Amino acid sequence: MSESMPERNNEGFLEDAFDWTEGVAAVIAAEDEVELTEKHWEIIQFLRSFYKEHEMSPPSNRLFVKAVKEALGEDKGNSIYLMQLFPGTPAKTACRIAGLPRPTNCL
Amino acid sequence: MATIQTLHILNKSPDHPRAARCLEMVSEDDGLLLTGGGVLFLATGHLSGPGKVFALSPDIDARGLGEFKGSNAELVDFARMVELSLEANRVISW
Amino acid sequence: MSTLIMIDQAPYGAWTGREALDMAFSLAAFDQPASLFFTGAGVNWLRQNQEAGGIGQKSVEKNLSAAPIFGIEAILADRAACETYGLDENSLIEGVTLVDADAALLNDYDHTAFAG
Repeated sequence: MSESMPERNNEGFLEDAFDWTEGVAAVIAAEDEVELTEKHWEIIQFLRSFYKEHEMSPPSNRLFVKAVKEALGEDKGNSIYLMQLFPGTPAKTACRIAGLPRPTNCL
Repeated sequence: MATIQTLHILNKSPDHPRAARCLEMVSEDDGLLLTGGGVLFLATGHLSGPGKVFALSPDIDARGLGEFKGSNAELVDFARMVELSLEANRVISW
Repeated sequence: MSTLIMIDQAPYGAWTGREALDMAFSLAAFDQPASLFFTGAGVNWLRQNQEAGGIGQKSVEKNLSAAPIFGIEAILADRAACETYGLDENSLIEGVTLVDADAALLNDYDHTAFAG
Protein backbone atom coordinates (compact mmCIF):
# COMPACT_ATOMS: atom_id res chain seq x y z
CA MET A 1 0.00 0.00 0.00
CA SER A 2 1.65 3.23 -1.13
CA GLU A 3 -0.83 5.49 0.65
CA SER A 4 0.13 6.06 4.28
CA MET A 5 -3.14 5.83 6.18
CA PRO A 6 -4.12 8.33 8.89
CA GLU A 7 -5.35 7.19 12.30
CA ARG A 8 -8.71 5.42 12.36
CA ASN A 9 -11.05 4.05 15.03
CA ASN A 10 -12.03 0.40 15.49
CA GLU A 11 -14.80 0.74 12.90
CA GLY A 12 -12.49 2.26 10.31
CA PHE A 13 -13.64 5.88 10.62
CA LEU A 14 -10.95 8.56 10.47
CA GLU A 15 -10.08 10.11 13.84
CA ASP A 16 -9.64 13.49 12.14
CA ALA A 17 -11.83 14.33 9.15
CA PHE A 18 -9.17 16.74 7.89
CA ASP A 19 -6.67 13.91 7.39
CA TRP A 20 -8.80 12.79 4.45
CA THR A 21 -7.54 12.64 0.87
CA GLU A 22 -8.96 11.04 -2.26
CA GLY A 23 -6.32 8.35 -1.91
CA VAL A 24 -7.52 7.58 1.62
CA ALA A 25 -11.07 7.30 0.26
CA ALA A 26 -9.96 4.78 -2.34
CA VAL A 27 -8.24 2.61 0.29
CA ILE A 28 -11.28 2.58 2.61
CA ALA A 29 -13.63 1.93 -0.32
CA ALA A 30 -11.53 -1.05 -1.39
CA GLU A 31 -11.93 -2.53 2.11
CA ASP A 32 -15.69 -2.35 1.59
CA GLU A 33 -15.28 -3.77 -1.93
CA VAL A 34 -16.62 -0.56 -3.41
CA GLU A 35 -15.10 0.65 -6.67
CA LEU A 36 -15.41 4.42 -6.75
CA THR A 37 -17.14 5.90 -9.80
CA GLU A 38 -18.24 9.45 -10.68
CA LYS A 39 -21.54 8.72 -8.92
CA HIS A 40 -19.72 7.83 -5.70
CA TRP A 41 -17.50 10.91 -5.87
CA GLU A 42 -20.52 13.16 -6.22
CA ILE A 43 -21.92 11.87 -2.91
CA ILE A 44 -18.48 11.92 -1.26
CA GLN A 45 -17.93 15.55 -2.28
CA PHE A 46 -21.40 16.39 -0.99
CA LEU A 47 -20.55 14.83 2.39
CA ARG A 48 -17.21 16.64 2.56
CA SER A 49 -18.90 20.01 2.04
CA PHE A 50 -21.72 19.08 4.42
CA TYR A 51 -19.15 18.39 7.13
CA LYS A 52 -17.30 21.62 6.47
CA GLU A 53 -20.49 23.60 6.80
CA HIS A 54 -22.16 21.78 9.69
CA GLU A 55 -19.27 20.10 11.57
CA MET A 56 -21.26 16.89 11.82
CA SER A 57 -22.21 13.81 9.82
CA PRO A 58 -25.86 13.29 8.97
CA PRO A 59 -26.82 11.50 12.23
CA SER A 60 -28.85 8.68 10.70
CA ASN A 61 -29.51 6.95 7.42
CA ARG A 62 -32.84 8.70 6.98
CA LEU A 63 -31.25 12.11 7.50
CA PHE A 64 -28.42 11.21 5.13
CA VAL A 65 -31.01 10.44 2.43
CA LYS A 66 -32.89 13.63 3.30
CA ALA A 67 -29.76 15.78 3.07
CA VAL A 68 -28.75 14.27 -0.29
CA LYS A 69 -32.27 14.84 -1.60
CA GLU A 70 -32.16 18.46 -0.45
CA ALA A 71 -28.82 19.04 -2.22
CA LEU A 72 -28.95 16.80 -5.31
CA GLY A 73 -32.62 16.07 -5.88
CA GLU A 74 -34.91 13.08 -5.62
CA ASP A 75 -33.06 10.94 -8.22
CA LYS A 76 -30.09 10.68 -5.89
CA GLY A 77 -31.68 11.42 -2.56
CA ASN A 78 -33.42 8.06 -2.21
CA SER A 79 -32.37 5.01 -0.25
CA ILE A 80 -32.27 2.59 -3.18
CA TYR A 81 -29.82 4.72 -5.16
CA LEU A 82 -27.61 5.30 -2.14
CA MET A 83 -27.70 1.66 -1.09
CA GLN A 84 -26.54 0.58 -4.54
CA LEU A 85 -23.56 2.93 -4.28
CA PHE A 86 -22.75 2.35 -0.61
CA PRO A 87 -23.75 -1.14 0.50
CA GLY A 88 -24.55 -1.99 4.11
CA THR A 89 -25.88 1.04 5.93
CA PRO A 90 -25.34 3.72 3.26
CA ALA A 91 -24.79 6.58 5.74
CA LYS A 92 -22.09 4.62 7.59
CA THR A 93 -20.34 3.33 4.48
CA ALA A 94 -20.44 6.70 2.74
CA CYS A 95 -19.27 8.66 5.79
CA ARG A 96 -16.43 6.22 6.38
CA ILE A 97 -15.22 6.59 2.78
CA ALA A 98 -15.66 10.37 2.90
CA GLY A 99 -13.60 10.58 6.10
CA LEU A 100 -16.45 11.87 8.27
CA PRO A 101 -17.15 10.78 11.86
CA ARG A 102 -19.46 7.84 12.41
CA PRO A 103 -23.13 8.87 12.14
CA THR A 104 -24.29 8.98 15.75
CA ASN A 105 -27.61 7.21 15.39
CA CYS A 106 -26.66 4.36 13.05
CA LEU A 107 -26.45 0.92 14.62
CA MET B 1 0.54 43.15 40.83
CA ALA B 2 -0.94 42.61 44.26
CA THR B 3 -1.54 39.01 45.29
CA ILE B 4 -5.04 37.74 44.73
CA GLN B 5 -6.58 36.61 48.00
CA THR B 6 -9.23 34.32 46.61
CA LEU B 7 -9.59 33.42 42.95
CA HIS B 8 -13.23 32.65 42.18
CA ILE B 9 -13.47 30.45 39.09
CA LEU B 10 -17.00 30.75 37.74
CA ASN B 11 -18.07 28.42 34.93
CA LYS B 12 -21.82 28.84 35.46
CA SER B 13 -23.91 30.95 33.10
CA PRO B 14 -25.62 34.08 34.45
CA ASP B 15 -28.99 32.35 34.93
CA HIS B 16 -27.50 29.68 37.22
CA PRO B 17 -28.30 30.25 40.92
CA ARG B 18 -24.69 29.58 41.88
CA ALA B 19 -23.50 32.44 39.67
CA ALA B 20 -25.32 35.03 41.78
CA ARG B 21 -23.98 33.44 44.97
CA CYS B 22 -20.45 33.57 43.58
CA LEU B 23 -20.66 37.26 42.66
CA GLU B 24 -21.85 38.09 46.20
CA MET B 25 -18.72 36.46 47.61
CA VAL B 26 -16.14 38.38 45.55
CA SER B 27 -14.39 41.06 47.60
CA GLU B 28 -11.92 43.83 46.83
CA ASP B 29 -8.70 41.78 46.93
CA ASP B 30 -10.18 38.83 45.05
CA GLY B 31 -10.10 37.78 41.43
CA LEU B 32 -13.05 36.55 39.41
CA LEU B 33 -12.12 34.23 36.54
CA LEU B 34 -14.91 33.59 34.07
CA THR B 35 -14.72 30.29 32.18
CA GLY B 36 -17.25 28.15 30.32
CA GLY B 37 -20.77 29.59 30.50
CA GLY B 38 -19.45 32.21 32.93
CA VAL B 39 -18.05 34.26 30.04
CA LEU B 40 -21.66 35.05 29.07
CA PHE B 41 -21.49 37.66 31.85
CA LEU B 42 -19.54 39.76 29.34
CA ALA B 43 -22.69 39.86 27.17
CA THR B 44 -25.17 40.60 29.96
CA GLY B 45 -22.94 43.33 31.41
CA HIS B 46 -23.89 42.45 35.01
CA LEU B 47 -20.39 42.71 36.46
CA SER B 48 -20.17 45.81 38.58
CA GLY B 49 -18.87 44.23 41.79
CA PRO B 50 -15.41 44.51 43.37
CA GLY B 51 -12.39 42.41 42.44
CA LYS B 52 -10.42 42.08 39.25
CA VAL B 53 -12.17 40.22 36.43
CA PHE B 54 -10.46 37.73 34.10
CA ALA B 55 -12.05 35.75 31.26
CA LEU B 56 -10.80 32.68 29.42
CA SER B 57 -10.24 33.63 25.80
CA PRO B 58 -10.99 30.27 24.09
CA ASP B 59 -14.34 30.13 25.91
CA ILE B 60 -15.17 33.61 24.62
CA ASP B 61 -14.32 32.59 21.05
CA ALA B 62 -16.37 29.39 21.31
CA ARG B 63 -19.45 31.44 22.14
CA GLY B 64 -18.93 34.07 19.46
CA LEU B 65 -18.42 36.81 22.05
CA GLY B 66 -15.45 38.46 20.34
CA GLU B 67 -17.19 41.84 20.26
CA PHE B 68 -17.21 41.87 24.08
CA LYS B 69 -13.47 41.26 24.41
CA GLY B 70 -12.77 44.95 24.92
CA SER B 71 -15.01 45.09 27.98
CA ASN B 72 -13.93 45.17 31.60
CA ALA B 73 -12.30 41.73 31.79
CA GLU B 74 -8.62 40.86 31.28
CA LEU B 75 -8.31 38.05 28.75
CA VAL B 76 -6.33 34.97 29.71
CA ASP B 77 -5.33 31.75 27.94
CA PHE B 78 -5.10 28.29 29.53
CA ALA B 79 -1.49 28.80 30.63
CA ARG B 80 -2.28 32.13 32.34
CA MET B 81 -5.30 30.51 34.00
CA VAL B 82 -3.01 27.97 35.63
CA GLU B 83 -0.62 30.74 36.74
CA LEU B 84 -3.47 32.69 38.30
CA SER B 85 -4.62 29.61 40.20
CA LEU B 86 -1.10 29.14 41.57
CA GLU B 87 -0.60 32.83 42.43
CA ALA B 88 -3.82 33.16 44.39
CA ASN B 89 -3.80 32.36 48.10
CA ARG B 90 -6.83 30.18 47.63
CA VAL B 91 -9.13 29.12 44.83
CA ILE B 92 -12.89 28.51 44.82
CA SER B 93 -14.27 26.61 41.84
CA TRP B 94 -17.96 27.46 41.61
CA MET C 1 -48.31 15.52 16.33
CA SER C 2 -46.13 18.58 16.60
CA THR C 3 -43.34 18.89 19.12
CA LEU C 4 -41.61 21.95 20.55
CA ILE C 5 -38.18 21.30 22.00
CA MET C 6 -37.06 23.89 24.54
CA ILE C 7 -33.40 24.64 25.13
CA ASP C 8 -32.82 26.88 28.16
CA GLN C 9 -29.19 26.09 28.93
CA ALA C 10 -26.09 27.82 27.60
CA PRO C 11 -24.15 25.97 24.88
CA TYR C 12 -20.92 23.95 25.46
CA GLY C 13 -21.27 23.51 29.25
CA ALA C 14 -23.40 20.38 29.17
CA TRP C 15 -24.44 17.71 26.70
CA THR C 16 -28.18 18.08 27.30
CA GLY C 17 -28.62 20.71 24.61
CA ARG C 18 -26.93 18.60 21.94
CA GLU C 19 -29.09 15.66 22.96
CA ALA C 20 -32.17 17.83 22.52
CA LEU C 21 -30.97 18.87 19.09
CA ASP C 22 -30.43 15.22 18.25
CA MET C 23 -33.97 14.42 19.41
CA ALA C 24 -35.37 17.18 17.19
CA PHE C 25 -33.38 15.84 14.22
CA SER C 26 -34.68 12.32 14.92
CA LEU C 27 -38.28 13.53 14.95
CA ALA C 28 -37.64 15.28 11.64
CA ALA C 29 -36.09 12.09 10.25
CA PHE C 30 -39.46 10.38 10.74
CA ASP C 31 -41.30 13.37 9.29
CA GLN C 32 -42.74 14.41 12.65
CA PRO C 33 -43.15 18.19 12.80
CA ALA C 34 -40.62 19.59 15.27
CA SER C 35 -39.49 23.09 16.18
CA LEU C 36 -36.80 24.40 18.51
CA PHE C 37 -37.34 27.14 21.05
CA PHE C 38 -34.39 28.84 22.72
CA THR C 39 -34.93 30.72 25.98
CA GLY C 40 -32.91 31.86 29.02
CA ALA C 41 -29.17 31.32 28.56
CA GLY C 42 -30.13 28.92 25.74
CA VAL C 43 -30.39 31.86 23.32
CA ASN C 44 -26.59 31.92 23.23
CA TRP C 45 -26.80 28.92 20.91
CA LEU C 46 -27.95 31.37 18.26
CA ARG C 47 -25.00 33.77 18.19
CA GLN C 48 -22.94 34.16 15.03
CA ASN C 49 -19.20 33.46 14.72
CA GLN C 50 -18.77 30.73 17.31
CA GLU C 51 -15.24 29.29 17.09
CA ALA C 52 -15.23 26.25 19.35
CA GLY C 53 -12.01 24.65 18.10
CA GLY C 54 -10.04 26.22 20.97
CA ILE C 55 -12.05 24.23 23.52
CA GLY C 56 -12.01 21.05 21.45
CA GLN C 57 -15.69 21.10 20.51
CA LYS C 58 -17.78 21.39 17.37
CA SER C 59 -19.59 24.67 16.80
CA VAL C 60 -23.25 24.38 17.83
CA GLU C 61 -23.89 27.25 15.44
CA LYS C 62 -22.76 25.07 12.53
CA ASN C 63 -24.60 21.99 13.84
CA LEU C 64 -27.76 24.06 14.12
CA SER C 65 -27.44 25.32 10.55
CA ALA C 66 -28.27 21.77 9.39
CA ALA C 67 -31.73 22.02 11.00
CA PRO C 68 -33.59 23.31 7.91
CA ILE C 69 -31.95 20.63 5.73
CA PHE C 70 -33.21 17.91 8.06
CA GLY C 71 -36.70 19.39 8.06
CA ILE C 72 -36.93 21.21 11.39
CA GLU C 73 -39.90 23.52 10.95
CA ALA C 74 -38.80 26.58 12.91
CA ILE C 75 -36.06 27.97 15.13
CA LEU C 76 -37.68 30.28 17.66
CA ALA C 77 -35.99 32.55 20.17
CA ASP C 78 -37.34 34.29 23.26
CA ARG C 79 -37.18 38.01 22.49
CA ALA C 80 -36.61 39.08 26.11
CA ALA C 81 -33.81 36.55 26.65
CA CYS C 82 -32.08 37.78 23.49
CA GLU C 83 -32.13 41.31 24.87
CA THR C 84 -30.64 40.13 28.16
CA TYR C 85 -27.72 38.52 26.33
CA GLY C 86 -27.15 41.38 23.92
CA LEU C 87 -28.41 39.51 20.86
CA ASP C 88 -30.06 41.39 18.00
CA GLU C 89 -30.68 40.88 14.27
CA ASN C 90 -27.02 41.65 13.58
CA SER C 91 -25.60 39.03 15.93
CA LEU C 92 -28.20 36.27 15.56
CA ILE C 93 -27.71 33.47 13.03
CA GLU C 94 -29.99 33.37 10.01
CA GLY C 95 -33.43 31.83 10.10
CA VAL C 96 -34.35 32.64 13.70
CA THR C 97 -37.83 33.93 14.50
CA LEU C 98 -38.11 36.13 17.60
CA VAL C 99 -41.20 35.43 19.67
CA ASP C 100 -42.64 36.34 23.04
CA ALA C 101 -42.58 33.37 25.39
CA ASP C 102 -46.12 32.96 26.62
CA ALA C 103 -48.86 30.36 26.90
CA ALA C 104 -50.16 31.20 23.42
CA LEU C 105 -46.90 29.98 21.91
CA LEU C 106 -47.18 26.59 23.59
CA ASN C 107 -50.80 26.20 22.44
CA ASP C 108 -49.54 25.67 18.91
CA TYR C 109 -47.83 22.39 19.86
CA ASP C 110 -49.17 19.01 20.97
CA HIS C 111 -46.07 18.28 22.98
CA THR C 112 -43.44 20.50 24.57
CA ALA C 113 -40.27 19.05 26.06
CA PHE C 114 -37.34 20.66 27.83
CA ALA C 115 -33.75 19.61 27.24
CA GLY C 116 -32.06 18.20 30.32
